[in-house]
Amino acid sequence: MNTAKKTWCWVSVVAVLALALASCARATPPAPPTPTPVPLTPIPAKPRVVTITFTQEPDNLNPLYTNMWFVLTLRDLYLANGLLAYNDKNEPIPWIAKEIPSVENGGISADGKTITFKLRDNVQWSDGTPLTADDYVFTWQMIMDDKNTVVSRDPFDVAVEKVEAQDAHTLAVTFKEPYAPWQAKIFSNVDSTNALPKHILEPVFQKDSTLDNAEWNRKPTVGVGPFLFKGWESGSHLIFEANPNFWLGKPKVDQIFIRIVPDDAAQVAAIKAGDTDIGVFISYADVPDLQKLGTLDLPLVPSGYKESWFFNLSTREDKTKGHPALQDPKVRQAIVMAVDRNKICQDLLYGLTKPAVTFWDGMPYANPDIQPIPYDPEGAKKLLDEAGWKIGTDGIREKDGIKLKLRYATTPREVRKNTQVIVQQMWKEVGIDSELITHSPDIFWNSYGDNGPIATGQYDVAQWSTNPSFPDPDTAQWLCKEIPSDENPPGGNWQFFCDEELDGLFVKETATVDTQARIQLFYQIAKIISDQVYWVSIWDDPDLWSVSKKLKNVHFSGATPFWNAYEWEKTE
Amino acid sequence: MTRYILRRLLQAIPLLLIISAILFLLMEEMGDPLATFGGRRVLRSEDRARLTRQLGLDKPLWMQYVIWLAGNDWMRMDLDGDSIAESRGTRKGALRGDFGTSFVTRRPVSEMIIERLPNTLLLMGTAEVVILMFALLIGITSALKRYSLYDHTITAFSFIGYSMPIPLLALGLMYLFAVNFKRWGLPYFPTVGVFDPAVGRTAPQIIWHMVLPVAALSTISVAAYSRYIRASMLEVINQEYIRTARAKGLQERMILLRHALKNAALPLVTLVGLDLPLLLGGAIVTEGIFAWPGMGRLFIDHTTRSDFPVLMGILMMISVAVVVFQLITDITYTFLDPRIRYE
Repeated sequence: MNTAKKTWCWVSVVAVLALALASCARATPPAPPTPTPVPLTPIPAKPRVVTITFTQEPDNLNPLYTNMWFVLTLRDLYLANGLLAYNDKNEPIPWIAKEIPSVENGGISADGKTITFKLRDNVQWSDGTPLTADDYVFTWQMIMDDKNTVVSRDPFDVAVEKVEAQDAHTLAVTFKEPYAPWQAKIFSNVDSTNALPKHILEPVFQKDSTLDNAEWNRKPTVGVGPFLFKGWESGSHLIFEANPNFWLGKPKVDQIFIRIVPDDAAQVAAIKAGDTDIGVFISYADVPDLQKLGTLDLPLVPSGYKESWFFNLSTREDKTKGHPALQDPKVRQAIVMAVDRNKICQDLLYGLTKPAVTFWDGMPYANPDIQPIPYDPEGAKKLLDEAGWKIGTDGIREKDGIKLKLRYATTPREVRKNTQVIVQQMWKEVGIDSELITHSPDIFWNSYGDNGPIATGQYDVAQWSTNPSFPDPDTAQWLCKEIPSDENPPGGNWQFFCDEELDGLFVKETATVDTQARIQLFYQIAKIISDQVYWVSIWDDPDLWSVSKKLKNVHFSGATPFWNAYEWEKTE
Repeated sequence: MTRYILRRLLQAIPLLLIISAILFLLMEEMGDPLATFGGRRVLRSEDRARLTRQLGLDKPLWMQYVIWLAGNDWMRMDLDGDSIAESRGTRKGALRGDFGTSFVTRRPVSEMIIERLPNTLLLMGTAEVVILMFALLIGITSALKRYSLYDHTITAFSFIGYSMPIPLLALGLMYLFAVNFKRWGLPYFPTVGVFDPAVGRTAPQIIWHMVLPVAALSTISVAAYSRYIRASMLEVINQEYIRTARAKGLQERMILLRHALKNAALPLVTLVGLDLPLLLGGAIVTEGIFAWPGMGRLFIDHTTRSDFPVLMGILMMISVAVVVFQLITDITYTFLDPRIRYE
């Protein structure tokens, strides 16, 4: 035997032995007998499949038990029985309701407290049971029952007196006071309040005395939407198949396959390889590369979100206390004027977005007369001088022995950390010092009661992205009663600020059912917020989607992205 | 031996109890599970107060631990917030095999873990087989050809492989073999997932989708393992009993496999015994990048939402596995080296 042959010979022996050893090692944990741990899912020969990547896995498919954006989006596929839906212009359109109730058509009572919806009588659950007003009443009862740990009772606990089925297809909702946000918040396709199938879930509730563990929550096989739930393999995918009896006609694609891809970079790779048709929450940094492919549309869909600065205005003599300089609106203005927000948008966000002017930009409620705060470092210096914050020996401004040093907190997202660094430099130019702080999201959002760093005021300027109750303009985060304290630990006004005039306008606005009058109130609200510099946007934060050009008729709405999934088409 | 195994198993009970208490204490530092309940918004304060009560998060930590351990079907809970405990609890507690329900999905934790386990075992098991195969092959050959060009090349690649950050490796493999190969018109691998929805969940599809993640998982460990095998092989083949075996005229193959490898395998067994229970935990990074529905993903998803019933379940499962595999490792020693005895 020559050497080469000999070597080869025993190399192969070692390989065999290694295999044997390895299979021993493998046999130690209970290895699955076949490579297919879950039974085969039957799929038709050549279905037209739309593949969508989601970076987060849905938690619960019962809308009562989740606020997760991904689930609320999916719901337009399998449940889709909101009374109203929102189109790609974010306008309400009649959906299960035949028309939008108004004073003229008798849908809104004279005192503004009762709203009556006429439901379509040709809509059925996928098992053939008619969808009736009773389903909505049942849903309301389930939301309010203490035995169900639903995620939110908003707005049924605070605003709604009763929900009644006047007949099978007439639903009347009575409010305690006239309630302006009803279009978006009462059984719409937007918030977590679609109708549940009473005929399926009532027996479950009677048996378990809670809906928390209902099988339908995970397998909502009975639905009303254009697609029907077919399967969900934890961590991997969800499958929805076309509903042949959908009330607007059978959808034009056969299957929607939602694949969970948690890694952003992997999602982009999948988009580039053509392994997915729709992706969402694409990073702006990937846009130039994706555009080059020429196979994709990259729509920016406004969803009300604005990357924002919040100032800690707490004057309480406890841990919440913010920097005293922030009490002066001139200082707040100077802090903003010192920063070239347009340059941040250009450099970090590839010029795809720009600073929003009001909290309601992109909605009919935005006041068009409000001017953005300009980038003007000289003006900022002047304002700070006027406010008594003079440059000290170390180049940092000070007043009464207190340095103008701000704690600037945000979450560790790359773009936010980069923003922090740029802003720190720009502030330095005008003599403002800063300490950069980041908290991971699970810490950042903790409540006052759980010592959340923002909720307990451990910051002076904080940055995060938020929106009004989009597509409704309401927001609770500036209400005086929402200021967190030991008596009110869950409070959501993490700026600790209370402006009586603003508070009064917010209270008035929520009771103004007339849309035009409500718009005027929001004009006033935005004016105060702008004049007083209570809130500033760093950039408008629309959702960035990628859509394969093989798909036609995909028109996302910021409020209910998949509202027209029944019209989607796929060409090969 | 039986007495030894029994003793070890009995010792494990207080050990696991202590582990569970420490883990539960650490969970408190995880953050607030309700923090992410608002979706893209902050949860309304009314809902936060109600859920804190309904989910039992308002109770003191020691009480929450007692409930986790022993359940709450022997006590009454206040669900409607009137400070009167009126409803009987339904949980049985970990001691009776009920690891609670996830705050996020409201499903039993054990069910959630069990449905991910096969996927993780499939991926990690395959990777472990590949790792051992290549590591033995490379380790033994480079030990035999010490300081040859082959050995030097292998050594160089081992160091490159060992120092490779796994996200870079995984994404690099994906871009090369899935994105660019497709663009260049070469045979290519899929980027993410377990199967192509247009084809369906078939065995060839799953194997095809496993190639890249297994390659990413194996590279680093092959590099590490093969170094261990090379070192322990070198130590053994220069010993006198090997020379004696050669002098007796035994075949070289016999010497290597029967005499040398058996002794050289001890450190490897230790290594594998430490690694195997951790396989159950899945591979957080690799599973994330290749969208493989395994335990690592379950763990990280529920960490970001501070869903501590699920985390407790996973960590306790791994703790039990560590205890069991340590025992198995110790027993394996006695077969490989008769000098080792337990009494």
